[in-house]
Amino acid sequence: MKARRVKGLDCDGGLAENARRIVLVRLDELFSFDPAVRDPRAVEELHDMRIAAKRLRYILELTEPALGDAARLGTKEAKGLQGLLGDIHDCDVMVPRVRDEVERLRAQDAAVVRASADPRAKDLEPEAVRRAPNLGRYRGLEALATYLTARRGVLYARFIGEWDRLQRGRFRERLERGLAEGLESPPPPARVNGADPTTRSAATAQAGAA
Amino acid sequence: MASAQAIEGFDATTRFREGAARAVEVRTGELFGHRDGVLDMRDIERVHDMRVASRRLRAVLEVFAPCFPKREYSRVLRDVKALADALGARRDPDVATEALESMSAAFAPSDRAGVRHMIGELRGEQADGNDLLAEALEHMDVSGLEVRLLALAATARVPA
Repeated sequence: MKARRVKGLDCDGGLAENARRIVLVRLDELFSFDPAVRDPRAVEELHDMRIAAKRLRYILELTEPALGDAARLGTKEAKGLQGLLGDIHDCDVMVPRVRDEVERLRAQDAAVVRASADPRAKDLEPEAVRRAPNLGRYRGLEALATYLTARRGVLYARFIGEWDRLQRGRFRERLERGLAEGLESPPPPARVNGADPTTRSAATAQAGAA
Repeated sequence: MASAQAIEGFDATTRFREGAARAVEVRTGELFGHRDGVLDMRDIERVHDMRVASRRLRAVLEVFAPCFPKREYSRVLRDVKALADALGARRDPDVATEALESMSAAFAPSDRAGVRHMIGELRGEQADGNDLLAEALEHMDVSGLEVRLLALAATARVPA
């Protein structure tokens, strides 16, 4: 998914005002996936929403020293969404892959069993199936696909719950308001990536993980 | 996973173009600081750290895009993306393998053969991903990506 272009960025302007402009566009991107993601079958939209959450998280994380507390709060929520949508995506990738593998093994087994028959045979005895080399693997692969499908359902329900919680809590409006307030009274310049520069290890930890 | 380094002097008073230069310099240092040992498949955290660093670098390049000359920016971004893709080609099967190994232990013994089969498939992908990553690292060195990134960062400080 290509990121939306942010208009009006000014390289000679301040970091905070430019960062705020970017955050507003990334927020808009994130929210544009509702209501599409309320359909659990919207695999592509859920994946794109994860990318939108990641982009929002990165800009907030990076510019938190300029944007202040609102950015810190936004980073936490965006990171949570990104992680949950990432786990859903992992299931969406793995389930069809496991099913394809079952089909591939079945086709391979059928070919082996067929090849083991007498070329002049008019029919095939059922015992021939015992010569299939992959029989012991189907069950585990089916169990894996079943587990991943069920897990995906649980994760999706959790995602919808989290998304509803953010909407009820007016996440977007709070973040927008917090950013505007941060511009009016910016965080003190002595802070380094959100932490007191005198505690270097805390500053490093605060800079966040991707 | 390594935490992102703090960017000194990065606050509300920083000019956007100065922020661009500092952010690219710091994130470039992080990326190349994780280069050693990434092809060692026995330690999957190394490739993870370098991949995370590549994502952070890509993010700052995209955030500060208007501050860089278009042509060189596009070339550098393309190379950073290609490197990130190669790191992903190695890392994705690492993650999937680790997850399946952990699931397998919880499955019934009669189901484990199937899961082990899937892990075997992923191991093949890991090896292919590692070959791809080796090529990408070589390209990174030959094309002088680190020097080009630092030169790009420097251009951000100069108004067009």
